[in-house]
Amino acid sequence: MAERPEDLNLPNAVITRIIKEALPDGVNVSKEARRAISQAASVFVLYATSCANNFAMKAKRKTLNAGDVMAAMEEMEFERFLEPLKEALEVYKKGQKGKKEVSEQKRKDKEKKQDSENDRSREEEEEEEEERMEEEPEAEEDEAEN
Amino acid sequence: MAATLASPVPSTEHEVERCGTEEEIRGAEAEGEGSPPQTGPGPVSACSNNRLSKLPLARIKALMKTDPDVSLASQESVFVIAKATELFVEMIAKDAMVYAQQRKRKTLQRKDLDNAIEAIDEFAFLEGTLD
Repeated sequence: MAERPEDLNLPNAVITRIIKEALPDGVNVSKEARRAISQAASVFVLYATSCANNFAMKAKRKTLNAGDVMAAMEEMEFERFLEPLKEALEVYKKGQKGKKEVSEQKRKDKEKKQDSENDRSREEEEEEEEERMEEEPEAEEDEAEN
Repeated sequence: MAATLASPVPSTEHEVERCGTEEEIRGAEAEGEGSPPQTGPGPVSACSNNRLSKLPLARIKALMKTDPDVSLASQESVFVIAKATELFVEMIAKDAMVYAQQRKRKTLQRKDLDNAIEAIDEFAFLEGTLD
């Protein structure tokens, strides 16, 4: 399924939310204006990507990186974005690092579990345990809903 | 679902893995493609890091890949473009609003956008691109 630029739009609900949060209370946005802003945002992505890609190609790299995007912002005269982008990127990087560690930990736990499941006699017991454990949270959920 | 009992990690964890990886992801539409257009803010931001980016990274990445010259894009670069797009939307909305306010209107209209695009240098790239 080839994606053409025309098919890909950014989610309306998100665009609307960003617009509303940027404008003062009590202000409305017409449907046409919203649609135009959404289209403009897609054009922005394409333009920024193309610009950033030029920097990557100049550096003989095949992979676009964050630095290329920053350079593109300057080129496009959106220097005002640079500071907030750098800050956001720092937070994002930290978050990614944390998630990587968590998923590695999960993987290790899974491997440990598989090792113990290889012991047949214990396998059946654990299955029963899991079923019991599964029942409990549901019971709790019911209570919470009530 | 023993995982929900044992682990303290929020369930958005595996969703991030699905949508935010390094190399090309052809079918990375897991994020929001299959769901109806207006699913609301929840699922859309599920893929972002602690709501750092409101726009879905998978969709941004898919857009980027329509450029034939782009082969690979790092996860970080997709994030930065997503964030920049958010800032862009804020900026253009505010700049267009000035024109509405000049005419004592409380509703932002398409012509306000057109005015902003014509008047502001940074928006020159948009000329002739909108329907």
